[in-house]
Formats: sequence, structure tokens, C-alpha cells
Amino acid sequence: MNILVSIKQVPDTTNIRINPETGTLVREGVPSIINPYDASALALASKLKRRYGAKITVITMGPPQAEAALKEAVEYGADRIILLSDRKFAGADTLATSYTLAETIKYLAGEAPFDLLLFGKQAIDGDTAQVGPGVARRLGVPLITYVVKVEKLDTETREIVVHRKTERGIEILKAPLPVLITCDREVGEPPFSPLSELIRAAKSKPEVFSAENPVPLERAKLGLKGSPTRVHRVFTPELKSPGERIFVSEAGVSTVVEKIITALKEKGVL
Amino acid sequence: MSNSFRYDVVVVGGGPAGLSAAMTCARHGLSVILLERGRFAGAKNLFGGVVYTESVLSLAPDLFSEKRLPFERPVTEEGWWLLSEDGVVKITHTEKGLYEKPPRAYTAFRARFDPWLAQKAEEAGVLVIPKVKVLDLICANGKVSGVLVDRPRDWESSELAEVRAPVTIISEGVNRLLTQKAGLIPRDFTPEEVALSVKEVIQLPKGEVEKRFGLSEDEGLAVELLGEATLGFPGSGFLYTNTTSVSLGVGLFLSDFAEKGLKPYELLENLKKHPVMARLLSGGETLEYGAHLIPEWGLEGLPRLCGEGVMVVGDAAGLVNPLFREGTNLAIYSGIMAGKAAVFAHEKGDFGHETLKLYEEAFRESYIYRDLKYFRRLKKFLRENRSLFADYPEIINRVLHLYLSAQGRAKEEVFQEIFGLFRKRRGLTGLLRDFVKTFRFFKGW
Repeated sequence: MNILVSIKQVPDTTNIRINPETGTLVREGVPSIINPYDASALALASKLKRRYGAKITVITMGPPQAEAALKEAVEYGADRIILLSDRKFAGADTLATSYTLAETIKYLAGEAPFDLLLFGKQAIDGDTAQVGPGVARRLGVPLITYVVKVEKLDTETREIVVHRKTERGIEILKAPLPVLITCDREVGEPPFSPLSELIRAAKSKPEVFSAENPVPLERAKLGLKGSPTRVHRVFTPELKSPGERIFVSEAGVSTVVEKIITALKEKGVL
Repeated sequence: MSNSFRYDVVVVGGGPAGLSAAMTCARHGLSVILLERGRFAGAKNLFGGVVYTESVLSLAPDLFSEKRLPFERPVTEEGWWLLSEDGVVKITHTEKGLYEKPPRAYTAFRARFDPWLAQKAEEAGVLVIPKVKVLDLICANGKVSGVLVDRPRDWESSELAEVRAPVTIISEGVNRLLTQKAGLIPRDFTPEEVALSVKEVIQLPKGEVEKRFGLSEDEGLAVELLGEATLGFPGSGFLYTNTTSVSLGVGLFLSDFAEKGLKPYELLENLKKHPVMARLLSGGETLEYGAHLIPEWGLEGLPRLCGEGVMVVGDAAGLVNPLFREGTNLAIYSGIMAGKAAVFAHEKGDFGHETLKLYEEAFRESYIYRDLKYFRRLKKFLRENRSLFADYPEIINRVLHLYLSAQGRAKEEVFQEIFGLFRKRRGLTGLLRDFVKTFRFFKGW
């Protein structure tokens, strides 16, 4: 099986502070980490590799320092690591990023097609959750977002069954391979990597792809030039509290009805 | 055997001592693996915050060609602040010499300095492997031939991996578990032999470090705080200026914390509330808080520095001079010396004590050993002369206050009050005794 994982290096937001004067993130001195959802995607890839056998290719787009994230990916069992690094990529929004990643993946798939494409559900620095879907659309493969569990992977029939978390509950979906999956945290725990893998990671060097080589990309679709998004304002959204959920199957009809009546009375509806 | 990885040298611990040893070996063509339990070299390390340039230059002669130095500020003003309950007498020194290039010392953060050093080590060819904890030494017939780690060898095996090398260099820091297992020291340290230091890094608004401490952008202040900083117990506090923050800390012998029921964070809180400190730090935001043990066992706790196939460097050996805040530099020097011995052993093809003792010999000729010997009575001296911490800072504050606010009074009365103060707090014989004892101590008698 051939698995691709796309990751992003992000500032560790548990340490992040906002400059009160400019409203922008203070990035200086903030350590960089693999986006936690991407780390879960890597953990899933690692798990599948050990169970079914697979070749894992990991790509990331970022400055030369993003090499650290790729080297860490080797600890999960990545076989090939690729860094898309070029000044022309700088300032890319989700549109430009999706284009750049999709073209690179098409090129890589030309050598050996991917069965599974894993993304984090979103990055903790931007929280857009758009790149995974954007890439799926450009590659023309089915997309399943917010996956929390892979229930079954059949390499014979080339089908995968996954659990997908939605606001209404868990959806269980079946899809043919190849498929692009965006991962939530629960999908996999980082493995306790063996020493051999840590040593391989320390020695590894990523292949570096530029805007021209080996994949000639359209200049106008890259980086700031290819990014129509303009940041209007940065703010913390108000937290919406989820409604109370009572299951008839657990609480019984009469309790549920009573609760509803009480709630409606409290609101002054009844 | 199939479970093992083989190298010329295995180094345990990614602090300055281990990195220096590893770097020295790698530069002489040896294959070196360094195992560090933290997420990266320096992740678990902490120090007050001053590093001496000379030691760094001895490892990285091209230090000043770096785009960005791994330091905060050069130290251009140094000394002591003697704190009374609400006052301070500042004794600091600066002169042109402290402005000469290269600066003698810098303030720094371990979380930045150590990774920088680790990168230098990697460039030299050292295989730096973080996130690996060494569980034990592999010993046979009193000979050390590597270490056992907490990770399996590969995905298929569940057995723990062994890393084998004819030379093992232990730079495990103050908790010298492996040093003990190697039989280089017969017992663990006692609470009287280590200091516990707590530290906060306090961020000040932009430009405030300069304003509050009278510095320009490339000047730095490093002072030790005596007296009220330790509530009169033997020990000291410190205040070092970083680029936009201040490192403030205080340390006592662990035994004093235990005996008096003091809590480290209370001691630091107390220091932060001192009127002089509170004013200097007002509006500051605490970025990080940390605590660490400092090995102060000195000469009497010094382990044997080498055995069969094994050497110990840095804090694990207790190479610290608290009076002169030396530690990082001594760690580096010891690492270099041990590294050279490892190289010599590989040239000779013999890894026994007889060969590795080259390190011990070099150490005994170095100033590190001379200083350990010279100050061998430090702990005893500090313990027996508590008045140096409990009385004198208070007295000196009081005396200066009386002298400087003497207008409108007959000076004879003022001076009588001053002499009375000394008499009351120490007595004439006490004064004389304190003087003689201090003199004897600094004479190394």
C-alpha cells in the first residue's frame, strides 16, 4: 500500500501570545511543532504500515526549518520525506497551498499511485480546514473529513470503512481506495518509536522541491500572488455551547418529555 | 548482540559537558552517539543564566561569525546587591575592559544555548538522539561497554535496545545514578551537598530592561543578591538581564529548605515582593518558572572521574564553583578533556582505566581541580558563618542609611550609633572573628 501524509509545521499555540498593540501573533521564541492533527494522521499511517505493510511518503510546504517536522515524521515510520520550499511559496493561503500540494501529489503519484492520502482535519494556527478538501477536489478522489477511526481496511477489495465525527454524532462510511481522509486527534496515538527509527530520523534529509523543480508550477497560482485571501481582522470567536442532549433510549420517554416542558417553561415559551 | 548498536563512543546526556565531549571525539573522526532524554538537547536543563565566552570559544572558535549569537546580553556590569528587609546596597563594577571584544561573559537561556551547541555537535558529526532515556550501563567484569535504553531496537522487537561502545561518557547531570552504577562514587549525595535553586524569567515591556537597569542595547547586568534574598540563610539570589526579560532566582542548600520547612517558591515570591525588586519588575510577566539542583559537594564528593571504559563529566562530577557562578564553563572544559582521553584510547586501542586516566590527570592539572581544592571548605565556611548572610547585609544597609541621612544631627552621635550597631549585632570579638575566618577562607587555609 502507498500512503501519503501531508503535514504542516506550526507554532506551538499553547505557548503563543498575541501582541496587544498589533493584534498579530508573537512568533519569536515560540517553538515549532507538527500540527497535532497532522501528527495523528502520521500516527494512523504508522499503525497501518505496521499492520498491512505500506510505504509512507510525507510532504510539507514551508521554510527550510520545516525540515525538523519531516525528520520527526521519520520517527513515525515515514519512508520518504519531501519539503516544498521556495520563496515563491511564501504567503500562500489555502487556495495556493491546495494547488501546490495537489500538483506535487499528482507528480509523485505518477511514480506510484497513492491508495490513501492523509491530512490533519485542520491546522491549529489557521483553523481553516480547507487544504485537505481542496487537494481532494483537485485530485478528483473521494474525501472524508473529521475521521476519528479506521474500522476496516480491505486491501483485496480496496475498500476502507471509517468513523467520521459530526455535530450530530458518528457517521460510519465506506469508500473505495484511493481516498483522501482528514484526521481528528482520536485516529491514532503517536507510537513509542524504536531506537532504530530515531537514529534513521536523525540521519534523514528531506528531498527539497522548488517551484520549478521537479514539478513545474504555475507562478501566478503560488504564494502571495496566488492567494486572494486577505486577513480583515483577527479575533477570538465566542464559544457556542452545545445544546443539552438526552437520549430517549437511555432516559425514557416520560423523563425526556418532562425535561422539554421544564425547559420551555423556563424560556417562557409555555 | 543482535540487539545492539555499535559506536566508538556513547555519551549520556545532552548538556554542555556531554556535547563538548561528543564534539571533541567526532572532530577526531570517532563515531559518536549522544543520547538525551529530553525532547531536544537542553529541554531539561536549567541554569541561572551566565555563560563565560572563553569556554564557548574553546569549542566553537568561529563563534563570532554566527548570524545570531546563542546569547542574550554581554555582561558589562557585575557585582552584588546586599538586601536588607526593604533596602539595598549595590556594589557593582564596570570598566572599559568589560566592553572589550569579545565580551567576557553573556547572559543566556539553556533552552537556546544548548540546542545551538547540539547543532554544532551535529555539524561535527555527532549523532544526537533525543527522547531516549538511558536505563542502565552494560557492565561485565567491572568494565563498562555501553548502555541499555528505554526504547526497543526496531518495530519488530520488544526487547530494549543496547548501545555499545568501548567508551561511555556519563554527563547525566546532578542526579548521578549511572555514575553510581559505574562504581565511580560509593553513595548518593546528601541534602547538605546540593543547592536547590528556583528561577523565574520575567518579561518586561519593550525598552524597559534598558530603562530600569540603566543599560544600552548591548549592555547587561549580572548581580548576585545577598541577605534578605535568602532570608539570611547561606545562599544567594541572582538577577541577570536578558534581551527583553530578567532572570531572577534564589538558591539555598537543600538541607536548609528541609530543616526550616521553607518552600522554594515562597522564597522566590518573597524576593519578588521586596520593595526594590517589586519596583524593578513591576508590570513584568512571568514567562517561565523552573527549579534545579546544583551539585555543591565539592572536593569531598568528587567521584573518580574514570573507570574501565567509562568517564564522568560536568554536573555529574560536581564541577561547579558557586562563588564564581562557574558550572557551564567547567562542564565544557571537562567534556573536552574527557573527549581527548577517549580519542587517545581509540588511538591506543585500549580503553582501560590506565588509558582513560589521561582525563583525570589533565583534570588534576586544570584550574577546576585547583579551585575545588582551594575552596574545599566552602560548605563548612558558609554554614559556620551564617552572620555573613543574616547580619552583615542588614548592618551595611543600616550603616549607610545612618551615614547618608546624618544631616541635622551631631555626627558624633551618628557614628556612635553606627559603632553601637556593630557592637550589638556582632560584638567586637565577633567582628574580628568574622574577619579572620573570612580571610582564612579566601587564603585557602
